[in-house]
Amino acid sequence: MYVFQCEDSIDGIFTGVYDAWASRCGHKNICLSSADNDNFTLFDEFIRVTPDFEKSRKVSRTLIRRLGVRFYETICRCAMADGSLRKLPMDKANAIYQTIVMALALPEGAKVLEYLSEPCILCIFELKRQTANEGHHLLEFLRFSELKSGILFAQIHPKNDVLPILAEHFTNRLPLENFIIYDAVHATAAVHRASKNYMIADASSLNLQLANDYSPEEETFRKLWCSFFETIAIEERQNAKLQIQNIPKRFWSDTPELSGKLT
Amino acid sequence: MNAITTATTAPSSYTHAGAPASRLSPSIMEKLTILTDAAKYDVACTSSGIDRSGDGDGIGNTLACGICHSFSADGRCVSLLKVLFTNECIFNCAYCRNNCNSDIPRATFTPEEICTLTIEFYRRNYIEGLFLSSGIIVSPNYTMDLIYQALYRLRTVYRFQGYIHVKAIPGADPLLIEKAGFLADRMSVNLELPTASALKQLAPCKSRRTILGPMRQIQNGIVHNKHEMIEYKKAPRFVPAGQSTQMIIGATPENDFQIMSVAESLYQKFNLKRVFYSAFVNVCHDETLPMLPGGPPLLREHRLYQADWLLRYYHFTVEELLSADRPNFNVYLDPKCDWALRHLEFFPVEIHTADYKTLLRVPGIGAKSAQRIVKARRGCRLDFPDLKKAGVVLKRALYFITCSGRMMYPVKLEEDYICRNLLSDRTQIPRDLREEGYRQLSLFDDVSHGGESNVRIPV
Repeated sequence: MYVFQCEDSIDGIFTGVYDAWASRCGHKNICLSSADNDNFTLFDEFIRVTPDFEKSRKVSRTLIRRLGVRFYETICRCAMADGSLRKLPMDKANAIYQTIVMALALPEGAKVLEYLSEPCILCIFELKRQTANEGHHLLEFLRFSELKSGILFAQIHPKNDVLPILAEHFTNRLPLENFIIYDAVHATAAVHRASKNYMIADASSLNLQLANDYSPEEETFRKLWCSFFETIAIEERQNAKLQIQNIPKRFWSDTPELSGKLT
Repeated sequence: MNAITTATTAPSSYTHAGAPASRLSPSIMEKLTILTDAAKYDVACTSSGIDRSGDGDGIGNTLACGICHSFSADGRCVSLLKVLFTNECIFNCAYCRNNCNSDIPRATFTPEEICTLTIEFYRRNYIEGLFLSSGIIVSPNYTMDLIYQALYRLRTVYRFQGYIHVKAIPGADPLLIEKAGFLADRMSVNLELPTASALKQLAPCKSRRTILGPMRQIQNGIVHNKHEMIEYKKAPRFVPAGQSTQMIIGATPENDFQIMSVAESLYQKFNLKRVFYSAFVNVCHDETLPMLPGGPPLLREHRLYQADWLLRYYHFTVEELLSADRPNFNVYLDPKCDWALRHLEFFPVEIHTADYKTLLRVPGIGAKSAQRIVKARRGCRLDFPDLKKAGVVLKRALYFITCSGRMMYPVKLEEDYICRNLLSDRTQIPRDLREEGYRQLSLFDDVSHGGESNVRIPV
């Protein structure tokens, strides 16, 4: 067995797919790994893959051309997921490789994504859903604050790398605003300038002090929002369990209306 | 017809990077609290039904799936800025806290204040848009005109392209309703109570005619607009996300069969997107209305919503679920399980051959999982673990399905046996009932819903 060890990123995994395909070792003898394992198995050969933008772009192009944008998007969402959160039948990168091999071999192509009884498809399905769900949660629960400079700033703590989903959404929604979405877990930030497209940048050296310098009106609207939020609940229907089920507690700390209620 | 004043000039200080808070009156906090408090019993807070991308020149877009931005202490979603325009109401509906006889603080927004709050909340991603309802100030026409002005300002001056849900005021001029409809995404007229007699008794200022009139008008407007869209693609859209309504449950003695029949005919005859059910809360402590010592009839509301889903997505009809001699839903089982147990002749269903509509009728299989099964079985044979991964709730479904001719494990296809097993699933029954114990379990009697037995029905 040849194990291709790739970096846990879209480019890393796609480069792995490219190298594995080009190695001509036979699909049956190939396995990809995106996990950082230092536990090597005796009879396998390990090959380290260095991310290569050009190779990754070639894979993306082939996927879009042969299997369609929907398929490509699903694979990307899957690559953005954190593969260690749940018990899966195989590694994330390997599932992506096997799925691509299967889809390119069969005449129905992108339809293989519906064959849930295949272990690799099931992996793709679950990981894609994991990213999409968290992405949607953050479209809901992300909160901007206005800084002195008029820039809107939001901080999030996602498990999966959902920043592109959010940036896409808010670029369409707030085209005339300058905004920054800061992913504190992955240390990346999406930066958007009014009427321009967004870009995703490394933010490991971001000065968070600046992000606490609110505009004078910020306080007013926060208070108004919190009092609206308090008032809208019907006392006779109190249901704390349902509330937590709908907005899990890990999102509370980043919202102004619930962060005060964390104990 | 009232003179419609339209403000077309933007306030000079307005830029997208923040509207000054100074345009809010000093008492804005108090106003917002009063008018939110007055609006909270309205159920609909959905922002779904229309996909609209931003045009790059304003603020906002909408997603067909809708986005809930927060969940309040009662677990209900907070999607829209849900406020009344005013609670200075001249009507005297008995169930409503804002009726003209009750002694509560009153307030009225200005259109400008509504716009500023909406835009500023929207920018911060607190809300998905505006839900604007209102008490009747001066007259229905006057109120509808004020609402129209606020919407007009929001859409044109602030170029807001997010979601707007607006109430059509019963009794307002059709022309005003039409104009508001071209600015809103969803409109609703509250049916309030399921029958005309109950409405006459509790809301003497409203009548079936003034409620169904606007509802019919909006329905016709939507149909007409669809034809216009075919001829001219850029025609302005009229109420693109459809209309909804709501009924109060438990204030009057109607049974579930009557309520569901009304809902069904609203879906069929008025083409509504949603009917909402609102468990009655006696906010006015009105003695002519039921006192509910066990709290609002939440379980009953829950069962009605479950049945409502069966009507809209599962191709059920009300006659299949209820009948004149079984007029209420089973407290212990959800309507679908209940139906399945009474129709064991349909089961077991073979997963590999049953068509989509048949799969939908199996308890434990929802619309999503049925779709997945239909697609997945084309590629390969499925087994029970695969079904589980597709999202089927096996602990409910296993009594009703076979996979390649086998059941998951041998079970008797027998009403009592299945029923007993389904009930051992503790999530089926709300806790308060569960803790009462099952001793008085007489499933197919008309068990009255929790707390309702204590209801005093006015004569």
